Amino acid sequence: METSQETNTHRTGRVPGLFWQFFKFGCYTFGGGWSIVAQMQKEYVQKRGWLTEEDLLDITSVGRSLPGLMIGNVSYLFGYHVAGFPGAIACVTGMCIPPLLILTVVTWFYTQVRDNPYVSRAMVGVRATVVPIIASAALGLRKAALTDRFGYVILLLGFVLYLFFGMNCITIVLLGGLLGFLLSVWREHRKGGPDHGTP
Amino acid sequence: MVLLELFWSFCKIGFTSFGGLSMVPLINHEMLSHGWMTLSEVSDIVAIAEMTPGPLGLNCATFAGTRVAGFLGALSASLGVLSPTFLICAVAAVAFEKFRDSSFMQKVMSGVRPICLGLILAVLCSLSTTNYAAPGGGVSLPALLIGAAALVALLKFKVSIPVVIASSALLGLLLIR
Repeated sequence: METSQETNTHRTGRVPGLFWQFFKFGCYTFGGGWSIVAQMQKEYVQKRGWLTEEDLLDITSVGRSLPGLMIGNVSYLFGYHVAGFPGAIACVTGMCIPPLLILTVVTWFYTQVRDNPYVSRAMVGVRATVVPIIASAALGLRKAALTDRFGYVILLLGFVLYLFFGMNCITIVLLGGLLGFLLSVWREHRKGGPDHGTP
Repeated sequence: MVLLELFWSFCKIGFTSFGGLSMVPLINHEMLSHGWMTLSEVSDIVAIAEMTPGPLGLNCATFAGTRVAGFLGALSASLGVLSPTFLICAVAAVAFEKFRDSSFMQKVMSGVRPICLGLILAVLCSLSTTNYAAPGGGVSLPALLIGAAALVALLKFKVSIPVVIASSALLGLLLIR
């Protein structure tokens, strides 16, 4: 965890940059919270290396399981993780300002925008990219999530419970946590000793 | 005090839902019971919120707030819908940073990570069924084409997400009839 070794001034120095980056994220977040995760994965995991894949998955699952807007929660947790409370506020406000401004304008011209054929055509194109954007992020996260074959089983379980049984996300995440705990304990037990550093 | 009422309404919406379309029934209830919007306006706002960037809950709050009380209304409704983030999530963030390195949390997270990835894949499937549907039913080939092009651009050529979104809007204009 490189952030814990850094000085406070270094972390505070990140705050304006965080605000600006999340302002940009706010302009390009279509299709719900998962696409901001995709943008964070590209910017902070791949490009800057501020975050490991594990960190991002942890933040995402916690943010998704708490009430309220997932994007707000994920931004807050990320900001807090890299730059403390000021970072959290910078990320949340930065992310919120673009949609707030855009929607205020759209509301004024709401009927014209809604019925404009060019807008709706362009939006079909934009919506078509939401799936590949999220898919590319999921591919990037798979190494952190799938450390052994049990990972695949748990993944499949979450997939099926959500898609076919409509179970809510908190229950699924809690179930994943329970399974992870039990499997890790069982693995330690089988090795016949204390934790040798499970991944 | 309509501003306080807006704030309180969206507080309730924020605390009792988990983002995305799960908010719609709650928004519907609050808007209709206050007489702030009609039923058809609520479905319009969902469509508009999907067309503009940002979380659905925040977009709905901005729309409802602006219509009821102008920009200040939008601001207080947005703060309302964000209140769980500033209260619950703020506490969770402190606890999370403190305990995340403990061996207990590591064990728990070893199960949470794969199940979270499973959730992402499930969301992808349900998004695919709406995002690639043709208006008359069936699959929209141009949309599928744009999606495939975006996937190649992202994975093979490492094109940035804003560029991908802007060019697919352009492709949508050209290809969609």
